[in-house]
Amino acid sequence: MTEEQKAEDQAKTGSILVVGGGISGLTATLEAAEVGYEVFLVEQNPYLGGRVAQLKHYFPKLCPPTCGLEINFKRIKDNPRIKTFTLAEVESVSGGPGSYDVSIKLNPRYVNEKCTCCGECEKACTIEIPNAFNFDMDTTKGAYLPHNMAFPMRYVISPKIVGTDDAKRCVEACKYDAIDLDMQPKTMNLKVGAIIWATGWKPYDASKIDNLGFQYQNVITNMMMERLAAINGPTGGKIQRPSDNKEVSSIAFVQCAGSRDENHLPYCSYICCMASLKQATYVREQYPEAKIYIFYIDVRAPGQRYEKFYKKVKADENVFLIKGKVAEVTEDPSSKDITVVAENAVTGEKVSQTVDMAVLATGMVPSVAGAKLPGGVTFDPDGFIISDLAQGGMFATGCAAKPLDVVSSNQHATGMALKAIQTVVNG
Amino acid sequence: MADSKRVEPDLKFVKDLKAMGADTLKKCYQCATCSVVCPISPEERPFPRKEMIAAQWGLQDRLVGNMDVWLCHYCNDCSTYCPRGARPGDVLNAARALAVRAYAWPACLGRIVPDARYWWLLFAIPAAIFLVILGAAGHLHIPEGEIEFAKFFPTILVDSIFVPLAVLWIPITFGIGIKRFMNEIHTNAVADGRAKRKDIVLPDFLRSLVCVVPTILRHSKFEQCTQNKDRYIPHLLVLFSFLGLFIVTNVFFVALYILHSPGPYSQLNPVKILANASAVALILGAVWLINNRLKDRGENVGRGSYFDWSLLILVLGLGVTGLLSELTRLVHLPAIAYPMYFVHLVFVFCLFAYLPFGKLAHLVYRTLAMAYSHYSGREPCE
Repeated sequence: MTEEQKAEDQAKTGSILVVGGGISGLTATLEAAEVGYEVFLVEQNPYLGGRVAQLKHYFPKLCPPTCGLEINFKRIKDNPRIKTFTLAEVESVSGGPGSYDVSIKLNPRYVNEKCTCCGECEKACTIEIPNAFNFDMDTTKGAYLPHNMAFPMRYVISPKIVGTDDAKRCVEACKYDAIDLDMQPKTMNLKVGAIIWATGWKPYDASKIDNLGFQYQNVITNMMMERLAAINGPTGGKIQRPSDNKEVSSIAFVQCAGSRDENHLPYCSYICCMASLKQATYVREQYPEAKIYIFYIDVRAPGQRYEKFYKKVKADENVFLIKGKVAEVTEDPSSKDITVVAENAVTGEKVSQTVDMAVLATGMVPSVAGAKLPGGVTFDPDGFIISDLAQGGMFATGCAAKPLDVVSSNQHATGMALKAIQTVVNG
Repeated sequence: MADSKRVEPDLKFVKDLKAMGADTLKKCYQCATCSVVCPISPEERPFPRKEMIAAQWGLQDRLVGNMDVWLCHYCNDCSTYCPRGARPGDVLNAARALAVRAYAWPACLGRIVPDARYWWLLFAIPAAIFLVILGAAGHLHIPEGEIEFAKFFPTILVDSIFVPLAVLWIPITFGIGIKRFMNEIHTNAVADGRAKRKDIVLPDFLRSLVCVVPTILRHSKFEQCTQNKDRYIPHLLVLFSFLGLFIVTNVFFVALYILHSPGPYSQLNPVKILANASAVALILGAVWLINNRLKDRGENVGRGSYFDWSLLILVLGLGVTGLLSELTRLVHLPAIAYPMYFVHLVFVFCLFAYLPFGKLAHLVYRTLAMAYSHYSGREPCE
């Protein structure tokens, strides 16, 4: 009996489906499962962990993601009531609160559970493909491990190489008979009582902001900065400017890059101020002499803990906070240096600051914005999912519901797990 | 608290700004995008961010007495990039309207001319004056024979109205307004450090005035606009057609009173050619500008208010009635030509008499502000 068949057999109206394996989905899954409910967790990527897995450090304790995710993965592994499916997408939902029929498409990984992560397939493979996990700042082989703490810890064969000689070489290289190029997409039908949409967010497309210079090599987004700084990132954690791998002696952070802007995202994305303040500390740790310029409309450091962190960064003599949104970015074509222009609204002077590189603090777009989710899910005008708490049955959590940080996502997900339980218990 | 200043918001002023098309001004959250995306704002103490907060706080003197609102050429790049839809371009446009009102003398005309409720009165005044004069002179009928406008409205009567208007009324009324305007923009610029020099030396100021003339004639500021670049040519057309008509009027004035050669003149007369070309350019420019105002830039950006539209309609009316008078004269339609000429003169009267109180005053105020900006060391000229 395959895992899918087992799942189909076990699924009953008392089960809960969680869509999305990021921090919110993991939390909702664990909270529901650990009080005795059967949970199916589906994730479209080949790994769990979502955006948190891409960060160098995350608030509130500034741990590396390994720290928080590892314990969650262990709890999942240890809990027989949780069934996880990666490379999985919800295709259709019918029924109503207490009784949904869900069909889930399982995309082929081309690697089965026999994989030991020996890495021989990767060595045998020659084709390089863009590495989405690192926002295409580097490449991976066509046979790859999504990242070094991927869960499930299992290689993936990219559909891009299936059918090539490379794929055959991978099969030959595998001593464990773990690669199966004949895997086909499958559909699995589940019966569940409640659904939690934890579909998360994606960074706003910075190329849409035509005055902030994302076309220049040395202008990156805040999420790219996380990957640059992360120890498992494309540079092994060394922050360097993309054009020439030069060490960074000055850097500008452009806050509200597309957020709080009717022309882009009208809402505040909540995390970007803290992210830039945090990234300022990354730069300071690696380059004690580096000058850091943070251009903001107003710094939003919600809560006492964040306020304290903000004050600490502000006190740093190499960090300059300038009240004024950057509205023009230019590049010196020869040196590839970046100049950001803002009006300092306190002094009324126009500031042109030339720096080695600039980071656009781009905001969050709900991953499913513009998509049509099955089952009559409703969205607000910005693409966040609206939970009909009166009707029950389907709930959105984390950044699928509104822009949140990790702490608030976890609180929110716990609440929504309870809502889901109420639906399956009360019908 | 020596450097503190008590802000006393003038709520009436905020309301007036909103009524003049700046209804979105409260949306501004002072991010200062506008000051950076503005293609013509100076590097030092740029506009319009500081004007936006003055508008929100009802600080009238920082808007109406501020040269910067006149340095703005209404490109609306700021409004396009504004993350809040606060439309800074339209706020400055409204501020200019209120500045015209603030410096108007007599003050009652400053209130009546930009007030949409009284548009009929503005036309009724010249119409009544003309009717009384024509009636007294026994000319209130359509003359026989070859059409000559002087047979209906003798040139001496026309000039007895328009010459005093041009040499007395405008210089006196506008002169008072201009003097107050110059004093206030100077005081303001000195107070906040935008002016590098603290005195006003007339010969130097005149030099600055000469210095900005090429910028105006070339419309270089308009040309720098990106969002509203398509206004550059029609605005230039209207300016040059006015210049052309100004020259034509003066040449014909000299021809009549010094050379004793009254019209109508041959269509091949070079001055007549200039007159006709100017009339066509005026109409073309006006239609083009109206079309530009109607263009959908989202959120009513660049629509303007009655204050702006009244001038567009006046200019269009002036051109159309002038050209129609001439055409109906040439094809011999006295029943249309003479009344059309009457209406045309009403438009001309409105243009002259209300110059210091309406939108057309920007011709003078903006020129002076640009000259002052150069004089005070804020901006170089080309």
